[in-house]
Amino acid sequence: MKKKVVPLLVATVLLATVAAGCGKNNDNTGGSGGDSNIGVAIYKFDDTFMTGVRNAIKDAATGKATVDIVDSQNSQPTQNDKVDLFISKKYDAIAINPVDRTAAGVIIDKAKKAKIPVVFFNREPLAEDMEKWDKVYYVGAKAEESGTMEGQLLVDYWKAHPEMDKNKDGVLQYIMLKGEPGHQDAELRTQYSVKAIEDAGIKVEKLAEDTAMWDRVKAQDKMATFLSAHGDKIEAVIANNDDMALGAIEALKAAGYFKDNKFLPVVGVDATAPALQALTDGTLLGTVLNDAKNQGAATLNLAAALAKGNTPNKGNSGYDITDGKFVWVPYKKITKDNMNDAK
Amino acid sequence: MNTSLKRVSEFLTNYAIYVVLVVLIIGISVSAPSFLSLSTLTNILHQNATKAIIALGAAFVLITGGVDLSAGRVVGLSAVISASMVQVSDYPRKFFPDLDQLPVVVPVLLAVFAGILVGLINGLIISKLHVPPFITTLGTMVIVLGVNSLYFDMPPNSSQPIGGLRNDFTKWGSGTIDIGPFSLPYLVIIAIIVAVICWVIFNKTRLGKNMYAIGGNVQAAHVSGINVGRNLLWIYSIAGALYGLAGVLEAAKSGGASTGYGNMYELDAIAACVVGGVSTTGGIGTVPGIMAGVMIFGIINYGLTFIGVGPYFQLIIKGAIIVVAVAFDIRKYLAKK
Repeated sequence: MKKKVVPLLVATVLLATVAAGCGKNNDNTGGSGGDSNIGVAIYKFDDTFMTGVRNAIKDAATGKATVDIVDSQNSQPTQNDKVDLFISKKYDAIAINPVDRTAAGVIIDKAKKAKIPVVFFNREPLAEDMEKWDKVYYVGAKAEESGTMEGQLLVDYWKAHPEMDKNKDGVLQYIMLKGEPGHQDAELRTQYSVKAIEDAGIKVEKLAEDTAMWDRVKAQDKMATFLSAHGDKIEAVIANNDDMALGAIEALKAAGYFKDNKFLPVVGVDATAPALQALTDGTLLGTVLNDAKNQGAATLNLAAALAKGNTPNKGNSGYDITDGKFVWVPYKKITKDNMNDAK
Repeated sequence: MNTSLKRVSEFLTNYAIYVVLVVLIIGISVSAPSFLSLSTLTNILHQNATKAIIALGAAFVLITGGVDLSAGRVVGLSAVISASMVQVSDYPRKFFPDLDQLPVVVPVLLAVFAGILVGLINGLIISKLHVPPFITTLGTMVIVLGVNSLYFDMPPNSSQPIGGLRNDFTKWGSGTIDIGPFSLPYLVIIAIIVAVICWVIFNKTRLGKNMYAIGGNVQAAHVSGINVGRNLLWIYSIAGALYGLAGVLEAAKSGGASTGYGNMYELDAIAACVVGGVSTTGGIGTVPGIMAGVMIFGIINYGLTFIGVGPYFQLIIKGAIIVVAVAFDIRKYLAKK
């Protein structure tokens, strides 16, 4: 008797969970009213930036198409299964945010066979994969641009505030807080932020560079360490994202910065809500907005045009198409002066 | 001659990890003499206070012969819960726009309670359904992340990092008491209080004695009249409470929270425990040993970053230390037998 109760209990709980999960899933279908169906696969739902893109896709779909948005759980095999599901449901177009950009070729082959147009977004497939079929499009930002703009924020400040060069040696001494090693954004932002400063004719000296894995707490600990190792020699902090920039700011606050006119320029990327607050507080110098709204809207508009059998152009998508298959959504520099653009 | 050689090797076996630590400190200090300073000490203590609390929680479970993989995700859950309720009233993107300013103690207790709840569920599954601790906590680890993500994704927050935390909350993570030139962080004081309480539980209570007995030999413990199930419920709940407290303090320390908080902390905690002499097969472990384990990793992390060792090398060094420390530690017990 007792032996039977436990599996029954477990089964009930599982059923209830699945039922609740199904109910919840309906939140991710939106924009009913259109006559076409679009399947959307996001690489991972708990990514802050992609959540913004996901919400923008949902908003843009209203009146144009019905979208079915699924989570690939940061696993390429899972995403391929989801694509198979979209194909068997005979959707009119699919929009894919690849987990692994080199795996896009497989998805293109599947889509081509089923004659379902694909829009990739946020992670760019390899050039040879993009050439496989004429109904393959890409919407995204040029990753190196975020690094370049981050560097430019520091260049602007350096030119306007000569006191930033604390030791008056004409060289900008900086700390670099990197995201996950090997991550494309982390490598490009690190490289191009420094390049932008050098291109402006300013000499730089790297005091320290270490990974804080995109993480606020880890960045705070690393920054505290760098502060005690280099102290007043530090003239700027460059972080690959806002969370790490904010962690560094916490460590700087603990060391007496941001009061009594003691300031150190810190820059990040993403323009998250806490980062905008830090701009208001005067602790963060600047951040770079990766434009989730326009990436989401461009993706949906392209997919909706393709679903109706049209070739996307500026007229039916609202975005400029480069080389017949690319939409480049620009980054934006955000400082205290223009922060309303990022809200 | 022979006996003195034997003594040296015995000393090295018993204190290998401390020898490694001293060598590391000397090496780091030689390459960067400014390492030996008061600010280094304060920083290391401040950075490892929450890790010590998590390691103590993990130790409770390890000593019973179990393992708790849910630790890191519980830290993330309680960080998000507490942070979501202590935002300043004029923050533009509040988690609960209409929430009044709660006394700090309310969100803190709620977050710790969430930790206790997860611990209680772990304990119930292990003692009533007889699912092994590794599998149970593997399951709750992902469930907790799922629950936390749902909470974090609720509109109007929609998975944005939580910021704008009140000063009367963050001061517990960043405030200090200044004693002459030395500023002692509140975090460290809290960690010391927790460690003392754990020491008392380990050494002076029936629960502590039962914990060692269960870890030493669960059948013997059962036969000698210990209610293993009820004791496990207590152990996992206490562990959950400690992770919950640590999550609150992580949020207070960094002034924010997101679902990524605490990710993989369970492995750091287990590593610190085993390096500090806790046996993964159960029955062995002391509070001072665990604290030493946490500090060893703390000093290594800080020191290697201080002198600018690349992140990839840091990983290799840390991994090697775990294996070497435990290899020596096991020899110690083999020798005794």
